Amino acid sequence: MATRQIPRTTLGEGASHEGFLRHKRFRWAKLALLLCAAAVAGYALIDAPPRHYGGTAFGYVLGTVATLLILWLTLLGLRKRAMTPGRWSLKGWTSAHVWLGLSLTVLATLHSGLRFGPDVHTLAWGLMMAVILSGLYGIAVYAALPPALGDSRAEMTRPQMVDALAKLDVQLEAAAQPLALADAAVVRKALAEDPFAAGLLRRLSGSDARSATRRAIVALAPAGDAALLAVLERKVAALGQIRRHLRIRALLEVWLYVHVPLTFALLAALAAHILSVFFYW
Amino acid sequence: MAFVLRTVTTSAEGREIVRTRRVEGDRLTIGRGPACDIHLTDLAVALRHAEVARSGERLAVTVENGLTVALDGRQVGAGSLALATGGDLRIGSHLLRFLPVAAGSDEVAVGVERVTEGEAKLDRDAERLFSLASVLPGKRPLAWLLALLVIGLCIAWPVKTFYDRQQRAERFARFQADELWSAGHLSAAHASLRHDCNACHVKPFESVRDAACASCHRDIHGHADPFRLARAQPDLSAWGRFQLRLKQAFDLPPGRCIDCHTEHQGPQQMAPTPQRFCADCHGDLAARLPDTRLGNAGDFARIHPDFRPAVVTGWQGERPILTRVSGPAAREANGLKFPHALHLSRSGGAAQMARRLGIGASLDCADCHRPEPNGARYQPVVMERDCAQCHSLAFARTGGVVRTLRHGDPAQVIAEVGDYYRFRTAPRPPSLAPAGRRQPGAAPAVATRIRFDAGARAPGPEAAVRAVFSPGGACYDCHQVDAPPAGSLAYRIHPVAFPERYIRHGWFDHRPHAAQSCGSCHQAARSNAASDLLIPGIATCRGCHGGERTAKPVASPCAMCHSYHARPGAPAMVVRQRLRGEQRPVPAAAVREGG
Repeated sequence: MATRQIPRTTLGEGASHEGFLRHKRFRWAKLALLLCAAAVAGYALIDAPPRHYGGTAFGYVLGTVATLLILWLTLLGLRKRAMTPGRWSLKGWTSAHVWLGLSLTVLATLHSGLRFGPDVHTLAWGLMMAVILSGLYGIAVYAALPPALGDSRAEMTRPQMVDALAKLDVQLEAAAQPLALADAAVVRKALAEDPFAAGLLRRLSGSDARSATRRAIVALAPAGDAALLAVLERKVAALGQIRRHLRIRALLEVWLYVHVPLTFALLAALAAHILSVFFYW
Repeated sequence: MAFVLRTVTTSAEGREIVRTRRVEGDRLTIGRGPACDIHLTDLAVALRHAEVARSGERLAVTVENGLTVALDGRQVGAGSLALATGGDLRIGSHLLRFLPVAAGSDEVAVGVERVTEGEAKLDRDAERLFSLASVLPGKRPLAWLLALLVIGLCIAWPVKTFYDRQQRAERFARFQADELWSAGHLSAAHASLRHDCNACHVKPFESVRDAACASCHRDIHGHADPFRLARAQPDLSAWGRFQLRLKQAFDLPPGRCIDCHTEHQGPQQMAPTPQRFCADCHGDLAARLPDTRLGNAGDFARIHPDFRPAVVTGWQGERPILTRVSGPAAREANGLKFPHALHLSRSGGAAQMARRLGIGASLDCADCHRPEPNGARYQPVVMERDCAQCHSLAFARTGGVVRTLRHGDPAQVIAEVGDYYRFRTAPRPPSLAPAGRRQPGAAPAVATRIRFDAGARAPGPEAAVRAVFSPGGACYDCHQVDAPPAGSLAYRIHPVAFPERYIRHGWFDHRPHAAQSCGSCHQAARSNAASDLLIPGIATCRGCHGGERTAKPVASPCAMCHSYHARPGAPAMVVRQRLRGEQRPVPAAAVREGG
């Protein structure tokens, strides 16, 4: 917590952290830019009557480069399981993954000759763009959200948060024992409220619009059992904290549920694209 | 009479704690209220929920009004169970198990237990709870699902379609799965093939071959001998050599139809052939193909050989010798005598005759030259139709009948003229006085007499025939006459021949030039001999026509006059433009400026 709040600029040169984006002074960013520039120059200068598309010699070159890049980018999934330092460190590899992956938007789009239709070729392109966009989103949230994730824990560990909720439930159940059955039902619903039961969308929105605990407070306030209401208020606070934490976690994680499965769909579509081109040559 | 309560609870560590309590009496009250015999801390249970009372050999269960309990699994508002068999009573999350009572015994044993399903959440891995993995299917199953979906839809299905199509002969009228593989719309001309990929893609993994094209396009000619074509190709750049090597590696023979006729480029029509398409090879063809008889041709305004029309330059007996000639010295040996200048003159005898016959103030080109029905070219001149209105072959009148020589049949003419003069006795003109006396001052009569006497001295049939074929005679005026050996009358007319087309390898259409006068291209008004070649040279055309990009009024790419696939008619590009209604007339004013 303490180190998190020190501005990075006050750190000494030796202690400064170079993120994967800036790795080796943007070495891979420069390479990716060079690749894109070469592709655009080739597209502009090389003559391909009647027009550029995947089937010209230049199109084949672009397609081959892009395919090899995609296969290599996919290998990050294997590579990340082995953290190594040095020249080909995982950080360098990730840097290359991001920058070369971004260069694919240019390479593959030029390969298409800017022509799209209801076919496997456009499917492969669209999946690739979806994978890259989800990756971009991932980079953005990884840059922006981790401090908020830490803050949302409020010095508690995650098991502590769950435990606190469970203890509040026990207190709530004890405090509700004198209630009549109708009121007890309201409390039972509050007891049953499980923030972890929320699906993807409710986690992403962090909404507590359907919070049974909040409703219980409204329903039981006229009766005025102060002890019971206090417990309920504390549960609302605990739920809110968990929901904020869940929301940030969901925002941080959701892109991988797009990025990874779509990558494999992309590999399949790429196989279909290449097979179809040579099957019906 | 008593109830023995055996309450089972589970500690946090999972250990069971059993407490036993005895309740004296016939009744057992159950509820959340502390006064109840069985105190259940479940909020789903009413303060005083149910009561169990012994009546004889049974236990009667009564439930508070409006509530229910599950008695042996059935939700009931009241009920009973036999002591001898026992039974289960479920209230909320608690299970009360009444054990069978032995005959004669006074104690009813009751097990009380909380059924703790759904209460395990505390034990769950807290870390996992916070992760999306707890609410989403795993990434791996998702990846498999999507990948298999794409493979099934985009590989397996289309491949199956291909093999299905091999088994069937009929045409396909609706969507076929392998259309998913299409790289783009087919061209407008091939749109009907869109459901039938195998019309062109015959064998899997073999690029489209010319044979597939030729199965429909049966009468398309190649451009030239393939070997000469290959030698004429411009020198390849490094990139060009790389492309060629790439094609070789992938078994894509160069020079296929689809090298130029690229398909799947959208629902478009065939684009006009760009000039460069021709100029790449023909611009400096002579350098690479030294034995070619074709001149270099690139931009029409700058690099194009002069026209070399095929003309009759001589005769081999009856057969004309066609030679391609160019330049102002070129002459045509068509066998006719025809001074265009004389006929087109506004003041000469021809003009007078035109006025007399009501043809016009003078003769015009159109009086003799008639366009073909399609208007592109002109019909051959026909003597009987186009010349004979002035150049009559009538030679005598017998009664009311005009006797005419038969054109094109010298033997018939010889027979006809010979016969006519053999049996002819000229009647003496009444103006001539009877023979002998001459009156002074009767000069006309003298002239008549002289002519009559000359006639009466009768050249004879032979002389008449000779006269027809000699200078001043009807045939001699227009034709070259082959004189017979001395003593014979077998005069022959030199055959006449014109080429069907002077310029055979380039297209010219008179219709778009209709705004021009004939004389602006054909120098007929100054031609005094039929041997003058009146086909205009390239300089004339260049007055209006430039290359593909030009400031001249008419931009003229190669394809305006030439077809890559040699064809006798209009070039393919012109035909296509005409079919699509794209041919726009050039404004006459623009042409005059350019000229």
